[in-house]
Amino acid sequence: MARRSELPARIERARRDLARVLGPDGVLAEPLARALYRRDASMLEGDCALVAFPRSRDQVEACLEVAAAYDLPVVPRGSGTGLAGGATPIGDALVVVTTKMDRVIEIRGEDRLAWVEPGVINLDLNRRLAPLGLTFAPDPSSQQTSSIGGNVATNAGGPHCLAYGITSNHVLAVELVLPDGEVVELGSEAPEAPGLDLRGLVVGSEGTLGVVTAVCVRLTPLPPAVRTLLFGFPTVADAAATVTAVIAAGITPAAMELMDHRAIAVIEPFAQAGYPTDAAAVLLVEVDGLPGGVKAEAARIEELARANHAGSVQSARDDAQRARLWKGRKSALGAVATIAPHYYLHDTVVPRSRLAEVLARVDGIVSRHDLVAVNMFHAGDGNLHPLLVFDRAEPGILDRVLAASDEIVRVCLEAGGALSGEHGIGLEKRDLMPLAFAPGDLAAQDCARSAFDPQRRMNPQKVLPAGARCGDFALARVGELGQAVARLPEGSWI
Amino acid sequence: MDLIAPASRAELAAALRDASAAGRRLLVVGGRTHLAKGNRTRADAALKVTAMDRLVEYTPAEMIAVVEAGMTCEALNAALAGHGQEWPVDAPAGATVGGVVAAAASSPRRLRVGPVRDSVLEVELVTGDGREVRGGARTVKNVSGYDLPRLLTGSLGCLGVIAQVALKLRPRPRARRSVLTGGGLEAAAALLAAVPLPTAVVATRDRVELRLEGWPEDVAEQTELARKAVGAIEVHDDASFPSLRPQDGWPVVAEAAVPPSRLPRLVEAAGDAWAALAGVGVCWVGLPGGGAALGALRRRAGELGGIAPVVHGPGGLGAPAPAPAVHRRLKQAFDPAGILAPGRFWGEQ
Repeated sequence: MARRSELPARIERARRDLARVLGPDGVLAEPLARALYRRDASMLEGDCALVAFPRSRDQVEACLEVAAAYDLPVVPRGSGTGLAGGATPIGDALVVVTTKMDRVIEIRGEDRLAWVEPGVINLDLNRRLAPLGLTFAPDPSSQQTSSIGGNVATNAGGPHCLAYGITSNHVLAVELVLPDGEVVELGSEAPEAPGLDLRGLVVGSEGTLGVVTAVCVRLTPLPPAVRTLLFGFPTVADAAATVTAVIAAGITPAAMELMDHRAIAVIEPFAQAGYPTDAAAVLLVEVDGLPGGVKAEAARIEELARANHAGSVQSARDDAQRARLWKGRKSALGAVATIAPHYYLHDTVVPRSRLAEVLARVDGIVSRHDLVAVNMFHAGDGNLHPLLVFDRAEPGILDRVLAASDEIVRVCLEAGGALSGEHGIGLEKRDLMPLAFAPGDLAAQDCARSAFDPQRRMNPQKVLPAGARCGDFALARVGELGQAVARLPEGSWI
Repeated sequence: MDLIAPASRAELAAALRDASAAGRRLLVVGGRTHLAKGNRTRADAALKVTAMDRLVEYTPAEMIAVVEAGMTCEALNAALAGHGQEWPVDAPAGATVGGVVAAAASSPRRLRVGPVRDSVLEVELVTGDGREVRGGARTVKNVSGYDLPRLLTGSLGCLGVIAQVALKLRPRPRARRSVLTGGGLEAAAALLAAVPLPTAVVATRDRVELRLEGWPEDVAEQTELARKAVGAIEVHDDASFPSLRPQDGWPVVAEAAVPPSRLPRLVEAAGDAWAALAGVGVCWVGLPGGGAALGALRRRAGELGGIAPVVHGPGGLGAPAPAPAVHRRLKQAFDPAGILAPGRFWGEQ
């Protein structure tokens, strides 16, 4: 086991400088610590030189100043639940972990806002808000462990984004330490802020523009009435057709989640949610708002579901039953561990009117590669999450998983979809970006990034593929970047 | 001022390339309804984009419309109404989609429908030097790289010319009602506390307009809650909104924005002709010319953590933007020759 004294001299000097500000426990360089922080919840692993745990904005500034002095790349990280490798460090990185900055600074119900530090856990914040009749609306499935800082970095979604919108709609302002150590506040407690919407650029930027040290979140009143329904269908296509019909009828439910028979089969024994085990698919639909509208919308949705051959209908009678129906959906990812040791969770978006068609094509790809997929996803948004389950011990299976994954992404994009709905690009999809954007589009994105980080110190090699450069903006030609294939980025491995 | 009116994306790009090469300064215009927003600029020509006005793609089942920037909001909403949908911005007559996006001119109904920036899913723009760029996607959710639609929303035509956008739509409400009562910000606060999910609560010095939209039974129930909270009310179904506009007709109208609980302290410095969106924090203030009243309003807005840019008449934006170096680099990257409305934007020197 390498000792500290064996660190390269430059890294050791950086460690000492950081320890002076953060304390000896505030920065780790031992092989075990570095191994723990060399990946997030994706399959991609990298390497890092140092792991820092700042407790305040001043300490974050110190981290960035030391990183600049010793020319270390900086990788911000929250709880590490990201699925796209956005927090997987590469090379000599300094990983800046914000989990110890976990104070709720203030809650101002009268302004429907709260200031929180980035390490506050999403569900912890919502537990504090519930007695006030308020909520921070984004509810990613990881909300028990994911931090608000991480939610901001990935522009996180969740089931209730359907009616309430993505994280960016719920972030009023951020305090950001720029790569050169300058602290700026972007956005405002007021409904409009001076300048360009730089706050909007920071949300979803996956830690590439600076380190967020405080977030002003918008709070939403809890709805006066809620109705939760579960429909069982004889085919996945019927469930998908119901989703399309509901949206087309001008109804935006609070959530509309589709789970296929494999998902039901893993969820039921695990969560006893009361899902019909004989159904090929279930649709979990929640409507909220005022009592009259909720009743009318629930009735209309039931009509549409029945017209699309729904065989069973459950309507939660009370909070306990509602919680049970949701427990099934929310524990699905954990339940998958009961059937296979590894999974690869996808995240793509397709137009909502083409759900059934794309699901059938995904099914075909999965069968052709002799794989097993479990489907549970935010159907109302068209946000697909095919989950390929496997055992890495099986020779050759990883190659099949990656090949199928590549095809799934292409099918979704061909249908007019997007590369990622809520997990982000990170390393995982970086080299697929040219499938979604022309070289000039990527160069323009790089300009946005370079405006914050001209030295490219923040989370380098993430989000944008090599070759997308602001300086090449005028020179980029179609075809230069057009031949991307899904391969592992250099410096990372699975 | 000369007028350039490109009829196609290619003509638009060529016009921008030529202008950049010649150092010819351009002011991008649509329906000319939001031109007062921004600092004073000198331009050699107006670049009018109203000839590019097609509804490019509209699948009602997606609740997304892809629209060229020159289309008017009225024409767009007329096309959407037939399918029971709307793009809720409530812009003045003649306003174009591109102009509303470039000015980030949100609806007075934003308490319920959200700010305009939350509705722009994809943007296609042509940069100052004529490069075509697309950002975002035609899906309701999308996290793939940097959010260029948000960067362009509110950029006042200073980074590039918005040529086309994909917009997230909403179902048109089945019932629309305005409930009028006396009072002011205090009555507005009482209504906000008593009525769940109002579409808007507009307060003036002595009146309040509560806007209710949605299912008829919900509107009826909320009306009763309003009556219990404030007593005497007047009810107008399907009335145009907002009806309370005391700021109209003044030489200068500022659009102040402060945290919503601070509106009472803002209006102390706003004279008599103001209309505030309770629960939101926006307040339109009618002011005499000359600048002293505007200066006082801006000082107060600043003390309360807000701003007060002018949206009608002279006065400009009035507050510095944060991170000026970031602003400068963005301007340099998207409009390297600096021909798009130089000086109009926040933070430009």
